[in-house]
Amino acid sequence: MKRFALPAILVAAWTSLAHAESAPINYMLQCQGCHLADGSGKPGSVPSLVDSIGRFVRVPGGREYLVRVPGSSQSSLSDQDLARVLNYMIRSFGPADVAADFRPFDAVEVTQVRRPPLSETESVRRALLSAMEPR
Amino acid sequence: MSGRMDRLTATLTRGLARRTSRRSFLGALGASLVGGAAGPLLPIARAEGPAREPLPGEPSPDSAEGNPDGCSYWRYCAIDGFLSSCCGGRHNTCPPGTSMSPITWLGTCRNPVDGKDYVISYNDCCGKDACGRCFCNRNEGDKPIYYTHKNNDLNWCTGAPSMIYNSTVAVIVGVATRKG
Repeated sequence: MKRFALPAILVAAWTSLAHAESAPINYMLQCQGCHLADGSGKPGSVPSLVDSIGRFVRVPGGREYLVRVPGSSQSSLSDQDLARVLNYMIRSFGPADVAADFRPFDAVEVTQVRRPPLSETESVRRALLSAMEPR
Repeated sequence: MSGRMDRLTATLTRGLARRTSRRSFLGALGASLVGGAAGPLLPIARAEGPAREPLPGEPSPDSAEGNPDGCSYWRYCAIDGFLSSCCGGRHNTCPPGTSMSPITWLGTCRNPVDGKDYVISYNDCCGKDACGRCFCNRNEGDKPIYYTHKNNDLNWCTGAPSMIYNSTVAVIVGVATRKG
């Protein structure tokens, strides 16, 4: 059995590397068109992710909001890929807001809450923002 | 002496006047002026100029896949619009007088030279009337309007200072890797 161990490890390493690289590309293809490469969005129509997205996971209902906003929920990403893109976005655009006990999204959680998409996002977003601690 | 000079001058002048006319002189003068001005425009020197160089890593501009002025250019695989390169701009810069919209349609196209899939951003150029030339609608990956998040029938000038659509560019923003 021992001689099979190395190939198995190599395959696992290659697979995780491929996964790690797919999230930035999926962000480009599914999100960047509106949220822009630096996550800054467009004031008034596309919310900025910078120093913002990480704060949502710290308030009740915030994790569900990030999965159910129409851009996430209705994207063509699989549940697994959506979880990876959300983790990538949180680490890229709000690293200072990521708490030590941050629990990354996974496919199981995304599958549970993804449907139906939020039909009204403005009021939900406002409620979550007001629940956040002032800076 | 002066009388002989006078007769000689008179004879030569009359001879010249018999052989030519004022109209023919003006005609010859005009032809030399116009011909002289048109000389530098002749295509002889240009035809001997150097051929266009391909962009680094791209197909030869002599091929359809390597020519940014045509719809078959490899980067245009998911474009829907008038080619900026045909409207006074280039394949990656907007025509003068327009501004590039920051929000865009994105897709991947395979570069036939290195076989890699590149992420291409199709930024619209906005602020002048529709160019109307070189319409190119390859739009690979576009889905019907009921798949709202994969539909390209949008005016991406929504994100620009002016909503007026003119043309579209194709900018490389990344290299797509194998999906895990």
